Amino acid sequence: MELKGLFKYLYELLASTGLPQGWVDLIAMVALALVVFGFIALVVLYLVWWERKVSAHTQQRLGPMRTGWHGWYQTVADTIKLLQKEDIRPALVDRPVYFWSPVVIFVAAFMAYVVMPFGDGLIVADLNIGILYIVAITSFTIIGMLMAGWGSNNKYSLLGGMRSAAQVVSYEIPMVVSICSIVLFVGSLSMVDIVQSQAKIYQWFIFRLPFGPLAFIIYLIAGVAETNRTPFDLPEAEQELVSGFNTEYSGMKFSMFFLAEFINMFTVAAIAVTLFFGGWHGPVLPSWMWFIGKTLVLVFVIMWFRWTYPRLRVDHLMEFAWKFLIPVAFINLILAALMKYSGWFNW
Amino acid sequence: MIKLIDGIKNLVIGLMTTGKHLLRHNVTVQYPTQRWEMPERSRGIVVLLSDKETGELNCTVCMLCMRACPASAITIDFEKGEKGKRTLIDFTVDNTICCFCGMCEETCNFAAIKMATMYEFATEDKESLIWHKDKLQEMGRDVPYEKPVRKKPAAKPVAKPAAKPAPDKPADDAKPAAPVETNPPQEKKPEEEPKPAETTAAPEPEKKSEDQSPDEKPPEDQK
Amino acid sequence: MSEPQGLHTKEFTLNVGPIHPSTHGVCRFVVKMEGEVITELTPVIGYLHRALEKICENRTYEQIIPVTDRFEYCTAMSCNMAFSLATEKLAGIEVPERAEYLRVIMLELNRIASHLIWFGTTALDLGALTPFLYGFREREDILDLFEMTCGQRLTFNYIRPGGVSKDIPPEFIPKCREFLDGFNTKIDDYEKVLTGNPIFITRNKNVGIMPPDVGIAYAVSGPALRASGVKHDLRRDDPYSIYDRFEFDLPTGETGDCYDRYLVRIQEMRESAKIVRQAIEQIPEGEIRGKFNKMNFKPPAGEVYSRIENSRGEMGIYIQAAEKQKKPLRVKMRGGSYNQLQVMPVICKGAKIADLVAIMASMDIIMPDVDR
Repeated sequence: MELKGLFKYLYELLASTGLPQGWVDLIAMVALALVVFGFIALVVLYLVWWERKVSAHTQQRLGPMRTGWHGWYQTVADTIKLLQKEDIRPALVDRPVYFWSPVVIFVAAFMAYVVMPFGDGLIVADLNIGILYIVAITSFTIIGMLMAGWGSNNKYSLLGGMRSAAQVVSYEIPMVVSICSIVLFVGSLSMVDIVQSQAKIYQWFIFRLPFGPLAFIIYLIAGVAETNRTPFDLPEAEQELVSGFNTEYSGMKFSMFFLAEFINMFTVAAIAVTLFFGGWHGPVLPSWMWFIGKTLVLVFVIMWFRWTYPRLRVDHLMEFAWKFLIPVAFINLILAALMKYSGWFNW
Repeated sequence: MIKLIDGIKNLVIGLMTTGKHLLRHNVTVQYPTQRWEMPERSRGIVVLLSDKETGELNCTVCMLCMRACPASAITIDFEKGEKGKRTLIDFTVDNTICCFCGMCEETCNFAAIKMATMYEFATEDKESLIWHKDKLQEMGRDVPYEKPVRKKPAAKPVAKPAAKPAPDKPADDAKPAAPVETNPPQEKKPEEEPKPAETTAAPEPEKKSEDQSPDEKPPEDQK
Repeated sequence: MSEPQGLHTKEFTLNVGPIHPSTHGVCRFVVKMEGEVITELTPVIGYLHRALEKICENRTYEQIIPVTDRFEYCTAMSCNMAFSLATEKLAGIEVPERAEYLRVIMLELNRIASHLIWFGTTALDLGALTPFLYGFREREDILDLFEMTCGQRLTFNYIRPGGVSKDIPPEFIPKCREFLDGFNTKIDDYEKVLTGNPIFITRNKNVGIMPPDVGIAYAVSGPALRASGVKHDLRRDDPYSIYDRFEFDLPTGETGDCYDRYLVRIQEMRESAKIVRQAIEQIPEGEIRGKFNKMNFKPPAGEVYSRIENSRGEMGIYIQAAEKQKKPLRVKMRGGSYNQLQVMPVICKGAKIADLVAIMASMDIIMPDVDR
């Protein structure tokens, strides 16, 4: 059930209607963007449900059970409820900043999916700077967090926003350096090229010891820190700062922050799959099923971390990033360069 | 380096432990479709018990529960009939004050008041939480209980005048009581109780309460 | 952490308000901070004051037992016990053997239950959300045992002056054995999740160090003091009831930081399980309550103070009785958390705001004990 053929057929259908080429392309792009948007929104709704179920079963309870079979439409119900909530805006907030920050965060979360290879030929735009584009986009989120923290006119939110920004900036470096070590091997920044270089299972970067697994672990830790999840979720730790930079938001605006966090989590997992686990390659099943399946397994592992570990204090966080992860990431890069130079993995 | 390996090992052990729990069956019960079965001694709301055959309240208006309640949640209205026999007009339990301690149940010698295992009695206004005699009796209809065994007071009237001036005597007699399950020490007291009430006037409620067996073990089978 | 010359941070006051997810009960802290570091901490209490001591002046001795239940509701058995011991001391009441054993079993089970609450809330405050549920799952087994015996899960009204109020039903001992058999494995499980975890260790080691002399000066007692190295436990030093018949160790710590307090309490749970096992083996038949005139108890005049080892420290009850009165003149309740709250400003100085939560959790302060 390859979808590549389906999309090609739809494109040809559109071209045959006789509109000028520019219009056809525009419409195709917009339609594709909407499809991706809809798909990701749907996936995220189910990720929220999945998180609740995973958390419940780690704690030997059941989670949502009443809204549908085992609560499958719980998130839909929650979204409808959030839509009905009163949008409380404190009087002294900085209005444009307060208003635009959820928008910035939400949009930044989606923009990474432009270059995500969902399957064989299923990519919105195969940019030749693929992975660099993604790294650039994840920095956008920081602006949103700072805007939220500042615009809320609240001590707690400001502290939370500052901490988040410091954390995300610090953990970008090991993430990028570990991506570099993979890119070094592939020789190209394009996402499709990276996946194609892992066509066979023994070519997956996770198995290319010793730098592969090390790069994966560094990337995973840095990715979890980027998305502000436990054990790195001090900025939004309820117990201490009453939800950090999104304290003053309610209703739909709050749900934008919340959903953006889940979208980011999916992004981190999807990129890890692309870089380390062979992307869409796999026998028998269609390629997009493999991609989604592998990503979901990795998402499960990230959720598992959340329900097991306590959280790190802010200075420990920073210390860990600067004094440990970054040196290790650089050593890993050098190791990868040596391996490439020596021609070890030339199969 | 060793610390690093140790740290990673412990992190993985932590993951394994939570992972092990992931695969276990849930320990929760899905209320309200499934309910937990309450133990028989569970202290829920206060109910009044009625006789199994006649359907009338067991309460003899001895006022002990009212005196025992630390929160003063019980109010008893009674009237003195002929021969000083009391009849119950109204028995009120204020569930907004009741602290569910079970003292009323413990002091009652007639199996008239009990804490049933019911716990679902939430209402929407405070007034409906103050329960009167009819509601209490209705709630107590299906509550299982065992009536304390009481032998007929044969040749007791002889002992009666002697018992009155020395109110502590019955208490002493109760002391060497045998193990918990039997009720013999108690039989005398409930029978004596209404009789002093006939002859002594109301102003001596304190004295009457002394006649009761305060230091004996609460009867097991009333629970 | 020295500030570079010429760089000043403004000191600001933060109110960690009474309604906050991780103050254990309603406690307010007014915190003066410089950046992330706490310079001064002032606890503001009284939000949970219920005038229990005054209520006791209007109740008879038997009626005060339900009131003491509410004094520190995580360990209601200990509160009942303290008051019962005081009354027995005042009037010279003897307690039968079986009642003593039942009391010890209930007290130690309650200690385990209270430590399980502590364990859950400590993990929760630090962000590990799962051990909370694990602790409460074990606690359910203990509460089932309690409910089977006295009918309630939190406010027991069980330990009375002279003995206990009800005998244990026949299914109590098999169920208790079943619980104890699985309990040690479960504690090992909890330790696997938290004790060796490097994140947990970094959060707790060398945080909130309480030197032993500070602890003794502020009359801190219980596991918080034992973690600082002082081997003081009322069950050993001032034995009450029949604790001298049981073998158990007193876990102590070395440095008195949060990690030591954690380890001490985990070990205490194991020791309590040991005591319950021994008590179940040795329990004799017999009566469960001595001579006590429930409705008309009039103790001789005098005053008495009796103390027991609670899971939070020393719990004491002082009773002053006048001649031939059914109701006491004055009842004073002393709880361990009050002193531990008093020592918080001293040990939190110089700590970061995130440590405040960790320290309060490790000291195991609960507000009903402080405010009464």
